[in-house]
This record gives sequence, structure tokens and C-alpha cells, in this order.
Amino acid sequence: MINRHLLPNEIDLLVDGDVGFGVAPLRAHVRQCPECQAKVDEARVIVDALEELPHFAPSSIFADRVMQQVHVFEPWHVAARNSVQKLVPRSVPARIAAGVMGIAATTVFAIASLWIGLRIDLLTVVSGSAIQRGREIVASALEGLVGAAFGPAALAVVRGMGTIGLLVATVILAVTATGAVMGVRRLATASSRRAGGL
Amino acid sequence: MPPSLDLQNLPDADVVALAQEGREVAYRELIRRYERPVFSLVFRMVRDRATAEDLAQETFIKVLNNIEKYVPEFKFSSWLFKIANNLAIDHLRRRHVQTVSMDGAPDATSASQIEATSFELASHGESALEELEAKELGSAIERAIAALRPEYRSCIMLRHVEGRSYEEIAATLDLPLGTVKTYIHRARHELRKALEDAR
Repeated sequence: MINRHLLPNEIDLLVDGDVGFGVAPLRAHVRQCPECQAKVDEARVIVDALEELPHFAPSSIFADRVMQQVHVFEPWHVAARNSVQKLVPRSVPARIAAGVMGIAATTVFAIASLWIGLRIDLLTVVSGSAIQRGREIVASALEGLVGAAFGPAALAVVRGMGTIGLLVATVILAVTATGAVMGVRRLATASSRRAGGL
Repeated sequence: MPPSLDLQNLPDADVVALAQEGREVAYRELIRRYERPVFSLVFRMVRDRATAEDLAQETFIKVLNNIEKYVPEFKFSSWLFKIANNLAIDHLRRRHVQTVSMDGAPDATSASQIEATSFELASHGESALEELEAKELGSAIERAIAALRPEYRSCIMLRHVEGRSYEEIAATLDLPLGTVKTYIHRARHELRKALEDAR
């Protein structure tokens, strides 16, 4: 039992209808104390008046006015789902038929994918051997060229060095050929100038 | 999913989830549920029907245009009331500044300076709208509410008209729980005094 008048926050607890552990002694005090009972009653009058206040209604076109300025946002996954749902038939037999057709289409697609996969494997093997054969032809042509340009001894050295030797020999050959072509061009230019000067 | 009839029985979180999926009926359902509470809160804050309608409209537009940002951990209605209250408080602050300038420049010291820098609104007869407002907000308790500080007003409205808990009000208004309790206690005290004086 509380032997003093209630504090304002304690009166609030009672007015708010709190049911906590500490509220029982407050209630007991109020039952014994007319002064505190009067304060609680006064506070309740205000709360009751507030709780009876009505809600006001906005104008009847309020919702339409709001919706005119709201952008209804549909996420892509919902749009996609809705599109799919539109394709699904409504009647049960049509749904079953669509299901069977879907399964058939999936099976055909799977078989076709498998077949293409196997063919790709074959294609890889064929193209691999073609590339190997082409490389052999190029190497043999280059060897022939090196042999013709630098003689059998140089060819034996290049063969001994392997692919790198062949590449080096090809570069030397290309540089030599370019030099020779440029030299011949210069000679031709010089002789034509001389002829023009005469 | 067709009818709005189903939506009426769904909790707010589910209706919001449908709105987030782009269903216009869900948007409309949210407006239907909260147009009156939001409008009432704002109307009691600003005490002008047309302004309250504009602010309530702005509240819904803001919320619904950002519906995809809503997180279910927070009550939808609390989010709505928070925006409505902020808009109303901002409006009252702006109006307060305008009222001060209507009464004369803040640095005016003499009566002649005040007169020179103030202006008067043209007087006009009471319109039908004003009559309606006077009827709606004319009771003693409404006038007593109008005399409260805006912070007290929103707390007391949320507590007793909307039936929100102290914790919800604290979350809605971004105030500490103790402050909310103090505001509500003081608001009740001021209302009691105002009603006693009115008798």
C-alpha cells in the first residue's frame, strides 16, 4: 500500500490502463484516496474525449488525385511471371495438353542439344587434325625455301634447332628478300633517272 | 489475382507486398485504409481543410512512389504517419515564418516600422469550406488541441485517436520514449486546464 499521493506519471499509468506488476499498489491506493481518485477521473475524462474524436474524411476524389501522381512500379521478375502466366491456359484439359507439349518440346530440345554436342566434339577432332596437317605443309614449304636459299648445310642446322631455328631462318630469309627487292628497286629507279637525264 | 475484396482482409504487410509487385488495387487499398487517419492527423495539425488535403495527398504520393523501399520490420502505418507528421510540421514552420513577416519585419522596433513592414489580408466573408471547418474543429476539445504545441499535438493524436503505443509513437516521430511520455503527459495536462478554463 502506498502512503502518499500518486505522482503524475503514476496517474498516467492508471489512465493508460497499464497492467504491469507495479500498477496493483497504485490501484489499491486510489481506492483508498479520494484526492488521487479525483485526479485519475479528471485525466480519464480528457482521454475519453480524445478517444471519441472522429476521423475526418478527405474529398471523394482524394484517391484518384493521389493515383494520378503515383507511378505503379512493376519489377521485371513480376512482369516476366505475369507474361508466363498469361500464356498458361485456364481450363484443365488445355493445361494438360500444354504440359504434354511442353515436355515433348523439352525432350526434342534436349536430344538436339546432345546431338549438336556430339557433332561439336567430332568437329573439334577434324579441325585439330586439319590444323596439324596445315602446319606440317607450311613447315615443309619453309624448309624447302631455306634449303634452296641457304643450301643443305644451313637446312641441317635449322632442322637441328627445331621450330625456333625455322622461325629465325624464315625471318632472315624475309629480311634478305626485302633487302634484295628494295635494292633492285633502287637500281631500277637510278637507271631510269639516268636514262631520263640523257 | 483479381478482386479488391480479398485485399480488405489482408494485413498491411501483405497488401504492401502486392503493391511492391506493381498491383494498382493494392495501392488503392492502402489509400482506402489510411486516407482518413492521415487526413485527420494533418487536418488537426494545420487546421485548414485544403492544406490538409494537399499535405495528405503529398504524404501518400511520397510513400507510394517509394513503396519498393519499404521494409516490413517497420509498421507501414508508422511510416505513413511519420511522413504526414513531418510534412505538417514543415508546413507549420513555413507558415510561422510567413505569419511573422505579415506582422512586420523581425527587426522592426517602433510602431511605425512595424506598420510600414506589415500587410493585411483582404477581409472576406466566411466560405462554405470555412463554415465546415468551424463545425468540424469548433468543439472545445478541438480548440484545446489546436492550442497545443505541434509536437504535443501529433503525440496526443497518435496516442488517443490512432491508438498507438508509446513505443510506436517514439519510432514514428523519431523521439526518445521518455520524451513521448513527457509530451503526452503535458498535453493531457494542458488540455485539462484548457477545458477547465472553457467551462
